[in-house]
Amino acid sequence: MLTMKQLSKVYRTHLIETHALRSFDIDVREGEFVAVTGPSGSGKTTFLNIAGLLEEFTGGEFLLDGVSVRGLDDDARSRLRNQKIGFIFQGFNLIPDLNLFDNVDVPLRYRGFNGAERKRRIEHALERVGLASRMKHYPAELSGGQQQRVAIARALAGEPRLLLADEPTGNLDTAMARGVMELLEEINGQGTTIVMVTHDPELAQRAQRNVHIIDGQVSDLDRNVTLLHTAAHKPVAMSA
Amino acid sequence: MELKPILKTLLRNKIGVAVIATQVALTLAIASNVFYIVADKVSAARQPSGVDEANVFRIRAANYRDVADPLAQQKRDEAALRSIPGVQQVAMVNQVPLGQSGNNSGFFLKRDQQQSTTNCATYEAADSLVDALGLKLIEGRDFTPEEYLEFTEYPTEGQPLPVIVSEAMARVMYPEESRYVGRVFYQGNGDKASELRIVGVVETLSTPWGRTSWGSKTGGESLVMPVRMPTMSPQYVVRTEPGRQSEALKAAESALIQPGDGRILVPANTMLELREHRYRNDYFLSSMMATMTGLLVLVTATGILGMASFWVGQRRKQIGVRRALGARRSDILRYYLLENFIVTSIGIVAGVVLALVLNQLVAESLQLSRLPLSDLAIGMAMLWLVGQAATFAPARRASQIAPATATRSV
Ligand SMILES: Nc1ncnc2c1ncn2[C@@H]1O[C@H](COP(=O)(O)OP(=O)(O)OP(=O)(O)O)[C@@H](O)[C@H]1O
Ligand SMILES: [Mg+2]
Repeated sequence: MLTMKQLSKVYRTHLIETHALRSFDIDVREGEFVAVTGPSGSGKTTFLNIAGLLEEFTGGEFLLDGVSVRGLDDDARSRLRNQKIGFIFQGFNLIPDLNLFDNVDVPLRYRGFNGAERKRRIEHALERVGLASRMKHYPAELSGGQQQRVAIARALAGEPRLLLADEPTGNLDTAMARGVMELLEEINGQGTTIVMVTHDPELAQRAQRNVHIIDGQVSDLDRNVTLLHTAAHKPVAMSA
Repeated sequence: MELKPILKTLLRNKIGVAVIATQVALTLAIASNVFYIVADKVSAARQPSGVDEANVFRIRAANYRDVADPLAQQKRDEAALRSIPGVQQVAMVNQVPLGQSGNNSGFFLKRDQQQSTTNCATYEAADSLVDALGLKLIEGRDFTPEEYLEFTEYPTEGQPLPVIVSEAMARVMYPEESRYVGRVFYQGNGDKASELRIVGVVETLSTPWGRTSWGSKTGGESLVMPVRMPTMSPQYVVRTEPGRQSEALKAAESALIQPGDGRILVPANTMLELREHRYRNDYFLSSMMATMTGLLVLVTATGILGMASFWVGQRRKQIGVRRALGARRSDILRYYLLENFIVTSIGIVAGVVLALVLNQLVAESLQLSRLPLSDLAIGMAMLWLVGQAATFAPARRASQIAPATATRSV
């Protein structure tokens, strides 16, 4: 699903160069639920942004769904994001002036679906996260946990193959965080590949695989664990 | 495509929308009316006088002592002017087109009529004005030398005075007709009315005032009588050969005045100067109004730009999120241009109503006709354009916001 080989990312400002990722190797397979952990500033968000085509990388190779994304133009990257990737953010990032229905509608409009198709998908996605009854509500009228569920519905409505989440529970209390985690697990159970950055070891434990990033690299220790993991758990065939 | 969500978003930002839409509405209402008034003034200022303007000047010499025989003085003046090299024609006349002073009198179709049919400029010329001004006869003929009268002989009992009228005048007198020569009408009414008969029609002869709000709407209803009148300050129109005007004008100024003859020369004016004097204020006012309107448009454009910049700034994160969710740069650009188009359109709809109301007031007080819809359409197009142009820079900046803003910024 997602393969990076010897990938590097350098941020250049006029003062300094920051090597946010160095010799970064990762391979996320279809249907996996990967938790990414690591200290602050280690490069987790950078990795996720590159994986989600929000940022370009400096060197190395990156195959998304088996296709190299190096050199794609901005429009092509936008289209890939729109069709293959769902995003969930720490701050939910719903659009405050739009109600839940219209929020979920945002990526579907960029996709060019017709009205009936969008409506069907929006209702289905909101049902999946248990908020179909609040369609006409505005984000400000919802709790944090509910807002994050709407964000998940928005990410799911386009039926992406890959869901990327940057600390999706970072702004939630434990109970709400658990609820969101359960929802993600359920979505993963239905076949969507998930890569989630988290600071919460308990949540990380619940993922199939942990990737630990230190100083812009996947830690060696972790590679071994990963190997063990893949040996222990045979990939499970997922039904839609 | 994005119309519905944009509308919903705007509904939740009503104050900003109202501010901009109001500004657009006022600008449209004012700009279209100003455009219309200025266009009217300019067209009035460009209206032909019928005179060969490049080659005609007017010269006056005022007497400050009584003159024994004013008519003889006029004839001496004419002879002196005619002898100047380059002069083609000279006519003593009581007033000149666009000279801004002169006589109007009422004309009647019948002797017993109470209300005059028209009030129009009354030229009294002692020689051919057709030749001296270069007027174009379109029907009938010029006066014959015998037809020119001296004021003592006028009015002549029982015989109508021959007159030449402008076509504009003839049309007002005889709206149903197309031939005017031979028709008889009256200057004044009742017992004192004098009978006039049309012998010729000129295509155009401007009044001394041109088009005005208080007088003639065409500025061209004029009549010429072949009469020499005594006056303390006779004036002459002089037509010269092309290219010899300034030379002849200088010679004319010294020709009229002899030392100790009790006369003061009033500086001569070319027709082009008279036109310039007549319309100077109108041009000044028009350019003032146009400048103010230009500033108003600029202020509106600035308002639109400010609002768009504010909204883009406020929505940086949201724009990043939209990019992350698959919006292309062009989608973001289009979003903001469309948003402005909607807000401007709301203002334009209100502005059209306001413009028509304002026009009602302006038209009544300035004697103008209704604002043509084409002028309104030009105003609308201009505001749409101004709106899009003012939004373009902020919209472009919005489209350049990085997708990573979704995850990076707070
Ligand atoms: N746009 C940027 N320009 C310059 N440096 C950047 C930029 N974005 C990130 N960095 C740097 O890259 C490094 C990795 O940042 P990143 O945000 O990926 O860390 P992180 O692991 O997500 O941290 P956190 O847990 O605090 O979110 C940091 O040193 C950061 O300062
Ligand atoms: Mg981070």
